[in-house]
Amino acid sequence: MASNPTNKKGEPLKTLSKKDITQLGINSLTEQIAFSFERMQAPGWTMNMIPGFKKIYGDSKEDLSEFMTYNMEFMNTEPHMATLLQGMVLAMEEKGTDRKLISSVRNGLFGPMAGIGDSLFWYTVLPITAGIACSLAKSGSVLGPLVFIAIYLVVGFSRIWFAHLGYNLGSKAVEKVGTATKYLTGAAGILGTTVIGALIPSYVTVEFQKKLVFGVGSTTVQSVFNQLLPNVLPLATVFLIYWLFKKKHVNTIAVIGGVIVFGLLMSLLNWM
Amino acid sequence: MQLTLVQGLLLFIVGAICQFDQQTEAFYWFRPMVASFFTGIILGNVELGVTCGAVTELAYLGMTNVGGTVPPDPLFAGIMTVVLAYTTGKTPETALGLSYPFALLAQGIGILFKTVYSFVPHKLDKYAAEADVKHFNGLIWGVTIFEAVFCGFVIFLCTYALQAPIQAFVNSFPTWVTHGLEIAGGVLPAVGLAMLLLSTLKPETYPYLFIGFIMATFLKMPNVLPVAIVGAALAAIDYRYQKRFDECGTAAIDDGGDSDGI
Repeated sequence: MASNPTNKKGEPLKTLSKKDITQLGINSLTEQIAFSFERMQAPGWTMNMIPGFKKIYGDSKEDLSEFMTYNMEFMNTEPHMATLLQGMVLAMEEKGTDRKLISSVRNGLFGPMAGIGDSLFWYTVLPITAGIACSLAKSGSVLGPLVFIAIYLVVGFSRIWFAHLGYNLGSKAVEKVGTATKYLTGAAGILGTTVIGALIPSYVTVEFQKKLVFGVGSTTVQSVFNQLLPNVLPLATVFLIYWLFKKKHVNTIAVIGGVIVFGLLMSLLNWM
Repeated sequence: MQLTLVQGLLLFIVGAICQFDQQTEAFYWFRPMVASFFTGIILGNVELGVTCGAVTELAYLGMTNVGGTVPPDPLFAGIMTVVLAYTTGKTPETALGLSYPFALLAQGIGILFKTVYSFVPHKLDKYAAEADVKHFNGLIWGVTIFEAVFCGFVIFLCTYALQAPIQAFVNSFPTWVTHGLEIAGGVLPAVGLAMLLLSTLKPETYPYLFIGFIMATFLKMPNVLPVAIVGAALAAIDYRYQKRFDECGTAAIDDGGDSDGI
């Protein structure tokens, strides 16, 4: 790789200013919009980074299309951690890092980062803030909601700080990578796949209802699957859909529609 | 006391704004502490709003959106508790119980949107491939604002026009439909994960998928961080071996061809 990376039109890449990173932090306030069960946060996540990406890569449509496409893959993390990761992604894009590596880093980190963010914001900041606000509000004092609003104003805009943190971490990491990109892409792929394996049981639920038994006896259907291997149904479902996409090239819309019909049918039959 | 049309319309607007915040999780205005406060201001009884907010916030503290799940809706609970305490004259605690069907209604609406919106990324993929930012952003904002306005409208109906009928509707709704969507909501992440696997799953990464899966299935972990650490350790081992392998120059396999190497 040349020391001065260029976009696909051969123009040198531009760098982001501090203001651009601050703007990224503000943009990422909407990281979670257009949320759906299928791709979760991917739409907002991608949209937030486009202005920064365009600044770096100019009007190179080919780069933008690649960038939007790999970022539209499944994404779900805690929103502040998303901002941090967005900073890292743009820092790596700015250095012209191989997109395979960036995408592997993205896919490997969002899950574990969600754990950190959730325990920080949902299980620490919310109970403490709500505890203080409720004790004030119980007697009808407006200080309760006002304190709550004020604290969350700070929590919301702390995304700016997370954007800078992520960008700085990303830039430093890239400098150290140097010639090892090829090996790191493989290593990041291993990390990403391991984590996706763990996300299957935590995100996908396919379970027959407890009372469903085979025609005779009292062996429940679900207990048979559980004795074979717990979570075998979520795993099988992911592989079935993977197979439909990869070998049968089935349309996503057909698969989603199929899943909804399946849910309604299972509910109607009272099987799940 | 009954609500006036103006109060109903103001709740429409505030409800839509708070629901937008609920989608972003930016400033937590969807929490009962804030939503009840705003409702109290609109109804001209701030103290009632604040006390209802405290009661409802504590009740809904454990119901979080962690991991993409949809709990009974704290926003509708926050608004309806105040409205019901105001219209029936009952205590905040009693009104909290009465507001539960509305929280369930909004939970159902939330699940419905997140299921139906599973079609949106498909369209976005097309715009992404064409690098069409204008339509990409337009669609994202369109569906977001539609959901917020729709929920605001439902709040208007619940508070002003159709309070009693809606309560009756929620209690008589065919549960198999909501339950069916719940089941679909549990399966749909499999679609997203399968698409992710299309780009990450290669012959050489297959084993690691199972390591992660087995760890998450059999170990009691608060989150996936332990799996990530094991993944990073395995990655580090592989990194060292791959590098040494190439440095020794043992194999002539260079770039690319690894995946079909026999």
